Amino acid sequence: MKIRRYGVAVAVAAAGALLFSACSSSDDSPKSTTTGAATAKTGGTITVAEVNAFFSFNSLTANGNTDINSKVSLATQSGFNYVDDKLTLQKDPSFGTYEVVKQDPLTVKYTLSDKAQWSDGTPVSADDLLLAWAVESGWYNDGTTNADGKVTKGTNYFDYAGSTLGLNDTKFPTVSDDKKSITIEYTKPFADWESAYSVQGIPPAHVIWKHAGLANEDAFIKLLQDQPKGDPSKPAKTNATLKKISDYFNTGFDSKTLPSDPSLYLSDGPYIVSAIDQGKSLTLVPNTKYQGDHTAKLDSIVIRTIADPQAQIQALQNGEVDVIAPQANADTLAALDQVPGVQVHKGNQLSYDHIDLNFSGVFKDKNVREAFLKTIPRQAILDAIITPLDSSAKVLNSQLFVPAQEGYADSVANNGSSAYGEPDIDGAKKLLNGATPTVRILYNSDNPNRVDAFTLISQSASKAGFKIKNEGDVNWGSRLGDGSYDASIFGWISSGVGVSGVPQIFGTGQSSNFNGYSNKSADAAMSKLIQTTDKSEQTKLQQEIDKDIFSDAYGLPLFQSIGVDAESSRVGGIDTFNPNQNGVWWNVWEWTVKS
Amino acid sequence: MLSYIVRRLVASFFILLGASFIVYLLIAYSGDPLAEIRSSNSPSKDTQIAVRTEMLHLNVPPVLRYFIWLGGASKCLIGQCDLGVTLQNQPVTAALGQAIPATLQLLTAATLLAIVFGIAIGVVTALRQYSTLDYAVTFMSFLFFSLPVFWVAVLLKEFGAIKFNNFLATATISPGVIVALALVSGVVWAVIVAGTWRRRGITFAVAAVVTALVLVFLSATKWFQTPSLGPVVIAVTGVAIAYGATVLFAGLRNRRALYSALISVGIGLVAYFALQPVLDRTGFWGLIGLLVIALAVAWAIGHFMGGYDRTQSIRAAMLTTFGMSLLIVIDRFMQSWQSYSDNPLVRGRPIPTIGSKIPGLDGDFWITGLDTMTHLILPTISIILISLASYTRYSRASMLEVMGQDYVRTARAKGLSERVVVTRHAFRNALIPLATIVAFDIGGMIGGAVITENVFSFQGMGQLFLTGIKSIDPNPVMGVAIVTGITAVVFNLLADLAYSALDPRVRVKA
Amino acid sequence: MTSPLSNMDEVSPAPASPEPEEQVRGLSQGRIVFKRFMDHRGAVIGIIVFLLVLVLAISSIGLGPIPGWWKYSYKETPDIVNGGHPSLQFFPFHLGDHPFGQDRVGRDMFAMTMRGTQISISIMIIVGVVSALIGILIGASSGYFRGKVEAVLMRFTDMIIIIPSLIAAAVIAKSSQHLGGIWFLAVFLGFVSWTGMARLVRGDFLTLREREFVDAARLAGASNRRIIFKHILPNAIGVITVNTTLLMSSAILTETALSYVGLGVQAPDISLGKLISDNQAAFSTRPWLFWWPGLFIVVICLCVNFVGDGLRDAFDPRQKKFRLKKDKDDQRVAPVALEAPIDDALDGTSEAPGRP
Repeated sequence: MKIRRYGVAVAVAAAGALLFSACSSSDDSPKSTTTGAATAKTGGTITVAEVNAFFSFNSLTANGNTDINSKVSLATQSGFNYVDDKLTLQKDPSFGTYEVVKQDPLTVKYTLSDKAQWSDGTPVSADDLLLAWAVESGWYNDGTTNADGKVTKGTNYFDYAGSTLGLNDTKFPTVSDDKKSITIEYTKPFADWESAYSVQGIPPAHVIWKHAGLANEDAFIKLLQDQPKGDPSKPAKTNATLKKISDYFNTGFDSKTLPSDPSLYLSDGPYIVSAIDQGKSLTLVPNTKYQGDHTAKLDSIVIRTIADPQAQIQALQNGEVDVIAPQANADTLAALDQVPGVQVHKGNQLSYDHIDLNFSGVFKDKNVREAFLKTIPRQAILDAIITPLDSSAKVLNSQLFVPAQEGYADSVANNGSSAYGEPDIDGAKKLLNGATPTVRILYNSDNPNRVDAFTLISQSASKAGFKIKNEGDVNWGSRLGDGSYDASIFGWISSGVGVSGVPQIFGTGQSSNFNGYSNKSADAAMSKLIQTTDKSEQTKLQQEIDKDIFSDAYGLPLFQSIGVDAESSRVGGIDTFNPNQNGVWWNVWEWTVKS
Repeated sequence: MLSYIVRRLVASFFILLGASFIVYLLIAYSGDPLAEIRSSNSPSKDTQIAVRTEMLHLNVPPVLRYFIWLGGASKCLIGQCDLGVTLQNQPVTAALGQAIPATLQLLTAATLLAIVFGIAIGVVTALRQYSTLDYAVTFMSFLFFSLPVFWVAVLLKEFGAIKFNNFLATATISPGVIVALALVSGVVWAVIVAGTWRRRGITFAVAAVVTALVLVFLSATKWFQTPSLGPVVIAVTGVAIAYGATVLFAGLRNRRALYSALISVGIGLVAYFALQPVLDRTGFWGLIGLLVIALAVAWAIGHFMGGYDRTQSIRAAMLTTFGMSLLIVIDRFMQSWQSYSDNPLVRGRPIPTIGSKIPGLDGDFWITGLDTMTHLILPTISIILISLASYTRYSRASMLEVMGQDYVRTARAKGLSERVVVTRHAFRNALIPLATIVAFDIGGMIGGAVITENVFSFQGMGQLFLTGIKSIDPNPVMGVAIVTGITAVVFNLLADLAYSALDPRVRVKA
Repeated sequence: MTSPLSNMDEVSPAPASPEPEEQVRGLSQGRIVFKRFMDHRGAVIGIIVFLLVLVLAISSIGLGPIPGWWKYSYKETPDIVNGGHPSLQFFPFHLGDHPFGQDRVGRDMFAMTMRGTQISISIMIIVGVVSALIGILIGASSGYFRGKVEAVLMRFTDMIIIIPSLIAAAVIAKSSQHLGGIWFLAVFLGFVSWTGMARLVRGDFLTLREREFVDAARLAGASNRRIIFKHILPNAIGVITVNTTLLMSSAILTETALSYVGLGVQAPDISLGKLISDNQAAFSTRPWLFWWPGLFIVVICLCVNFVGDGLRDAFDPRQKKFRLKKDKDDQRVAPVALEAPIDDALDGTSEAPGRP
């Protein structure tokens, strides 16, 4: 469940937010219904089961970017906006406001509210805003890494788990005199500007610069100002102070226990961490210094680590935990339905399973690819894996859109996916013309969904004369792209759905293009896509790409995954399924205990 | 002797070195630690790969990487252990420091109980070889042994926790259940008590009726919601313990021993009333202190009542006192039961299915003690069930072996009672070979119970090891392997020394 | 598996004991063992049930290319009938189309359970054979030759004991696909579970090598190899047989445990352990997916354990049925071994099942 920030971008795009409507949206009032502070406080404790154990107060680094760290940061850190369960960005003016001051070049001004302050009393200030920008833009990095992942020359400062695309093409922000606002000017138009820059999750800058021995905020701002933009082709000498700052950012906040130094777990959000039992539990209590709108309503939230899904269900059943989100399958869902006093929410996740064919080896010939795709029993796979969870589920027919998106229906109508509706064994035989090619299929043999998909595909493909060789492997991940297989079944999380993720998968020679796909017209459309800021133009380009992919017999999307969460009936405030990686945590401040 | 130990330790050092090398290579070659990142479509893929490569020295070949690890580990010799960091950037030493106590907490009670029950059952079945009891117990222990652990765990959670907690809401037992339990209890007792069919029939009837009456009483008083023993039950049980201890150590003919034990019961009852206010404010070490005082008093009773064979009286008195102390403590815990159960974090469902304690629970020693115990109940039962078989089989075999020895025949021939033959001559000798097994098992305890820890969400050594293996994270795996390796080696040595100390025929080659 | 003699290296055993007297004259050792074994009710039932399971598993779905009498193969995915519910009925008895039900893609659970049984029994036997072979070889060499050979081999054994088998399994699980799947897994499990056997065999050899018949053979000019395999080994067969059966029953459970943590048999191969760990979520909702394979594991394990128990009683001449108290006047019971050293005695009797 990584790439949270990226997920935000995708989420926003998926929900069809109008990208350049800032003028109208900046004065939107928050949807929060509880402006009065302690009035709605209900007290009580809610216990949440999570699979992973908390280990870092900085969830933005490559290492700390795990779902659980991000979830804790949602409760303990505020930002200019957050993503709601409809995958739209909601603003939090009690933390700060932002507005587009100029369209060309794109210039955005971020202004902090007076209420925004850390739990040690320090106001959130320009140093925090600049740190966020420095981290998320990757501006100072001039390192070059070799194939082994080793930095050969230059220096990489901040490890950032998200994409630095877009923010990297900005000028150094201007800071206002009262240090309450900064203005970011983009040198190129950038579609995902609203979600790309976020302060949420950034550790307190004043703790970091103090650690690096800087005297005050001004010194920190000056340090960032004076450091030129990094250029990997002409690496500069390492700036020792900046390196010290970035090292502290990268690893200083990693801790499995509650640090003895409280500045390591400051909060500017509704809750603050009060206790950690290493690997077992984490306790959140209301942040008394918090003045914003997202007032905490509970006395405490306890997170308990339970890795085994069956154990999660039984713990919920036994009343030991109140909220669980186990991996969804028909049996867990049926088991949860049997538990009295439990409400279950399910919905489509931002991930989908697909089968990809290599554009080499046995599948070099397009007829063979097409023949193989014709044999894939997508409806049967859906019926086995997804239908028991959601009887209205349908086969996914686009590589770039999910059904909830506007462009999906149009794209499906034109992209040629209808040719693969039901398995067409005769059609496949005709295309094969008597040949019996051997196909090696790679999948994760530890994932029952992939195993069952493989079983059904191999059964059906054998009927058309394909000889299927099973390449199921626990180590499938490191084999991707190594040519030891012909077809692969796996899943993408929220990619292929967003704009900037598209070339990464389908672009020629890109890092996640494992099957060697290359199509000139699609490449051209993709490079246009990233630069395009107009939503309808984006959709049109994506539909073109989708069509190219299908007509090249790239592979087939199989189904969109289903997620589930379940709460005991005493929990209030969790009313819908949230499809992104934050799960139930997106509105943690609205949680209550029903009496 | 000393040179033997030194030689063994030196050899052990090299064994550990060799084993650690092999383990390191195995884990290094068990997969690609970057696989998860490689297969993702994360935009910062390259950064993530670089960070992890840097962290795990992945650009160094595994054979050389081992020496990087060894360099850090060898600092342990000068007291600055550096066993590397986990993928979560936590020092392995810190992770071990948390995992070892958790594992010991989980396994100590379970292992000790399994040993005690296993030996007791094994000895009894050996004495009644090929009886119905023997077959029944053998069948049951093999059955439990054959059940997969996670299966046992799921069933225990379903019936021992969820259903039992539901039952506690009313705490009334339905008549059907009472009848069924009474019949089961009757059958069990009839099997245990050997003899003629007539005798068994009577046993069956008595056991069934008594069980039914007790259950009716417990149900009517909602005993399970507000459990307590009270002075009467303590007194009756205490007297039974006194007789049992006397039979075991001295035989009922030794009146002085019996009286010592009975006096201990009397003093225990007085202490029960006198100590209540003290117990309210005591902690763990206070309890230990009280126990020491009680045992000292018992020793004195035995010593002064003793007569010609004082040790018999002392033993009987001390065992009885120990039993009484236990009863008093149990009673005190029961007094706190309701306030524990009513705690807003417990909400009337006291038997948990996961973890080692309720996070954030406030309370005195008795409340937190209850919390720990309730959390340990289910994992302990599951560990006992599966490890019972091996102890039962070991001790049964050992006991059978000894019972066929000449000295047992000699003992019988000279007219000793069967009690003396069994307890003095056979049982003690049967324990000798068991000492080795027990020492070895206790040594192996620290390695944790991988699957039990996983299903019960206990964050111990087993869990640390398992997550390390799954994410191909070599450092925690090595940490666990080294700790278990060292304990295995040490206890192996202790077992050998104990064996030669207990059995003079086995000599240690100096 | 740890032996009671755990690492009694350099602890010299007591002097050899005289041969136990034969209970009944005129019967060969094999005959006596057989007779005693047949007296053990549990063991006889165990072996019968085990053979029945084996015959069922092989005949129903066949073995390799040979087809069996059951209509479905474990690979087929027929249409799901009646929501996958089992069609087996006992009153009146009725097998139906899918007696054990179907999984979610429609595979027949009966065929899968039978396939799982075949695989699990194969793993069990391979682990038993491999670890017995290695254990005997290492144990016999170190017990017979003593000195440097013993020191080196026993240190090696200690090292293998320290290496956690879970790690070994992890390596295997992740590479077994390319190396022959379950066969490789089974052989490798055998490679890490021979240590107990080696120690027991060594213990037995330590005492047996001092016996007169070994001296006699040596005087007659027999080679070391001949002495080890022809003279001493047959005398240690009891220890070996018993230990092997117990190793086998714990092999099934080890494999189940490995499957639970995802390191056992890899899909699409099936084993009983994998079936139940894959279907553990179905425990309360589609119990047949879970209970049938589970039942087979328990039955196989129980049988093997009982057979091992029976073999131990049968091989050990010193263990007699004896009745408390009545012994004294029961003259028919022959005197048992004199001065049998306890460590020696235990070698054969006390290797109880170990848990993974």
